[in-house]
Amino acid sequence: MITLLKNAKVIDPANHKDGVVQDIYIRDGRIIAKPADSEKIGQVHDLNGKIVMAGAIDMHSHIGGGKVNIARMLLPEYQAMRRLEEPEAHICGANCSHHATPNTTDTGMRYIEMGYTAAFEPAVLAVNARQAHMEMGDTPMIDKGGYAMLGNDDYFLRLLSQNADQKTINDYVAWTLHATQTIGIKVVNPGGISAFKFNERRQDLDQQHSHYHITPRRILQALSRAVNEIGIAKPLHVHCNNLGVAGNFQTTLDTMGASDGLPMHLTHIQFHSYGTEGDKKFSSAAANIAEAINSNKHITADVGQILFGQTVTASGDNMMQHLNAKVANPKKSVIMDIECDAGCGVVPFKYRDQNYVNALQWAIGLEVFLSVDDPWRVFLTTDHPNGAPFTSYPHLIRLLMDKTFRNDAFDKLNLDAQAMSNLKSLDREYSLYEIATMTRSAPAKLIGLQDRGHLGVGAAADITVYTEQADKEAMFAKPDLVFKDGELVVKEGKVVKVVWGATHTAKPTFDLGVEKDIKQYFDRYHTMQMNNFKISNDQIAEDGRNHVINHVQG
Amino acid sequence: MTIQQDSMHACPACGLLCDDISADAIARQQFSCGKAAKFYARVTTGVSPQVAGQPASLAEAVRAAAAALKQAAAPLVAGSSTDVHGARALVRLAQHTGAAMTHINASSTLRNMKVLQHRGWQTTTLTEVRNRADVILMIGTDVVSHNTRFFERVVWVDEAMFTEPAARQIIYLGGDQLNTQPGVSPDGRAPEVIACASEHLPEVVAILRALVMDKPVTATTVAGVAVSTLKTLAATLKAAKYATLVWVSKDLHYDHAELTIENITETVVALNQKSRAMGLSMGGSDGDTSVNYAHTWLNGVIIDAPAWESHDAVVWVNSYSPQAMPPAGTQPVIVLGAPDSIFESAPAVFIPVATPGLDCNGQQFRVDGSVTLPLTAAKPTDLPTLTQVVALIEAQLQGDLA
Ligand code: SF4
Ligand SMILES: [Zn+2]
Ligand SMILES: [Zn+2]
Repeated sequence: MITLLKNAKVIDPANHKDGVVQDIYIRDGRIIAKPADSEKIGQVHDLNGKIVMAGAIDMHSHIGGGKVNIARMLLPEYQAMRRLEEPEAHICGANCSHHATPNTTDTGMRYIEMGYTAAFEPAVLAVNARQAHMEMGDTPMIDKGGYAMLGNDDYFLRLLSQNADQKTINDYVAWTLHATQTIGIKVVNPGGISAFKFNERRQDLDQQHSHYHITPRRILQALSRAVNEIGIAKPLHVHCNNLGVAGNFQTTLDTMGASDGLPMHLTHIQFHSYGTEGDKKFSSAAANIAEAINSNKHITADVGQILFGQTVTASGDNMMQHLNAKVANPKKSVIMDIECDAGCGVVPFKYRDQNYVNALQWAIGLEVFLSVDDPWRVFLTTDHPNGAPFTSYPHLIRLLMDKTFRNDAFDKLNLDAQAMSNLKSLDREYSLYEIATMTRSAPAKLIGLQDRGHLGVGAAADITVYTEQADKEAMFAKPDLVFKDGELVVKEGKVVKVVWGATHTAKPTFDLGVEKDIKQYFDRYHTMQMNNFKISNDQIAEDGRNHVINHVQG
Repeated sequence: MTIQQDSMHACPACGLLCDDISADAIARQQFSCGKAAKFYARVTTGVSPQVAGQPASLAEAVRAAAAALKQAAAPLVAGSSTDVHGARALVRLAQHTGAAMTHINASSTLRNMKVLQHRGWQTTTLTEVRNRADVILMIGTDVVSHNTRFFERVVWVDEAMFTEPAARQIIYLGGDQLNTQPGVSPDGRAPEVIACASEHLPEVVAILRALVMDKPVTATTVAGVAVSTLKTLAATLKAAKYATLVWVSKDLHYDHAELTIENITETVVALNQKSRAMGLSMGGSDGDTSVNYAHTWLNGVIIDAPAWESHDAVVWVNSYSPQAMPPAGTQPVIVLGAPDSIFESAPAVFIPVATPGLDCNGQQFRVDGSVTLPLTAAKPTDLPTLTQVVALIEAQLQGDLA
């Protein structure tokens, strides 16, 4: 059956279309060229010039895995007990932890209702990947994928400290992608999570790890090179050292140089753009960071915007979250060391606009957005749920597109923070084309999803239809129609059909000989068999709803 | 090149989930663990469904189960002794029928959850302990009564990356009738035992925490334990490279035992100001972690411990505890569970289902919560899975509604 979207006003940066009115034909879940007149059209939607974009892709959102589930457990005081017989009876407000860390069903529903058709879990602990996939498998409506965390696992650190050759490292990295069914590699506080287990409290970029005697810079070199040489699309995803520390912008700038010019993605860069100026020794270094992104073409970044309200932060960075736990609100936190592989830290925060640091964090994020020239290299994220829940994206989009709205919000901030930000001097307003770039075309390109994030012939028919409105928050909060793989799944902001999406992976070829040594490591030191660490396609498909889409890249 | 491995099974009989059980060991019934021996000796064949104690076809039993659920105003899904897949099915059934859902280990699980939700905690996992722990303090427990092979698999191992396993210091603090023999090191070094009855642990652990926090303590003994002994213990914990404080919620079963657990975890928090330490909650299974976790990601809230008397039908799942039955009183009982269930009085409906890890494959969380392992059918049978049976009941309910 062919579905026709008539008179679509297409905004599709990947195909350089900015408001071209055209017809879109869909068959078997794909966008096709205009069929012969003899072919029957099954379903016609006359869009009368409504805005049409590809489904949005969240390239960094904590939607599944151990720490997210701990975050779900952590704030019972805000969870008016759900009455299961009335699933809609509990409406989450900004003070509810469901709001920040929804269950898997709500996650999928809220994403698709906003026109998002894929989200990528950026911190899959390799050893916890099975759980992450179970939760993502229970997340309906959208496609999923993950980035596996390396760089603090003892196997890798041993390799590096024993001067293993790059080929061995490449094989291990590729092996990890296969074993964990992921599509990218992330490093969190390179070396720092491991160092915390040896009672270190900070790990600087050029400081030797106290046990392995290698530096985070060396870890970044080895991993960025591995990711590049095994040929996956997604550049190394880097959560820099010194998360959240005043003055950390210098670490961030230095980190940009650590890959010797190979592509790297610096994540939630807002949390890494802090200076030490002013009375409070906490200032915005967004201008330095944005300038460095503009001039370092090998660097991409997502922002990790904070928005005000209650949330629960969930990070692999147990070293820095252990420090952050001192300012937890409510006062509780979970810190874990995990399996000689990684760690996690779950800390609730309440971001308040009258708090100097929080207000400035808000401004810093927006300063970064508005000062980075190229929307292909800066991504729209709140580091869900760490800066704010993903459900606040429409609000964030309005802040970017509407200067008056932004300045009105700025005027309500803590006055000392206002004095320390140049946000009001930034006149830029994002265009729809730029928003489509940063939420569609660019993430698909970055992750290497060739058939997503655009509306060209052959693309998967993940499509969102909006009514253009002056209030961009209202526009992006409630698309008219959303199609997932060609099926109409959302009408007037409400789900009309439940689908389950797929799991995207990248499985580059590698020398399986590397497994001999990995197995030996498991047998000598682990508490599970190597074979049980590996996740098969069948296990992803398990309950028959999910399936793996592997992307051949490079 | 692929590396051939003997097919190994993960044992779901306790929360340790040892995944080194060979097909050969199962065939010959040779285990270093009595619990595993008992689990793999279970006979799950030749049992048919029953309605009111009489043999019935699967279809008849499904119809009877659906009818009982339809009549109930406030059904309860309980026992819930299953794996992740079973948990998903039960959560769905509960949503579908408006049932509350709990677990056979709800009271011990919720004791831990109270601490997590009140203050959070700082914990570690088995491989970290195996490779780092130089001091292991067992509080109110010997662990081995629950996790038989804890010392074999985690403590007295041949090799560790960052510590000398045989040199580890094992200390037992309090508890009743502990088996401390497994705490003896391979070269015969006895563990330190600081004895006190479980009921006195609240005071003793509170003093230990105060000492670790360098608070003044004026008493010289607490519940018969010399404060000087606890001072030495506090110093040992502070000097450790990676102190591990172990508890088993089930062994702390007096009133408000969650406060003792919180004192344990807050002792860890205090230690981590300057040195490294972590908590480790052991024990567990009947899939308790799996069920609580899956319930949390599917519903957004942890499992509950409802009052039995307010329910008028029970779906009882006892896959890992065939002898376990719900408290008498709440009727009717629909058992979707162990083929080798032992009934004192026949339930309204009994549908034998496959036990994950024995009759069928599955996935289970280990007690430390970060690791999930695939369960493989050790002795495959053609019993339906819990997921399949729940789907049949739901289809029946839907058909009834139509
Ligand atoms: S210790 Fe537990 S998991 Fe290991 S074999 Fe015994 S019962 Fe099974
Ligand atoms: Zn809520
Ligand atoms: Zn993140």
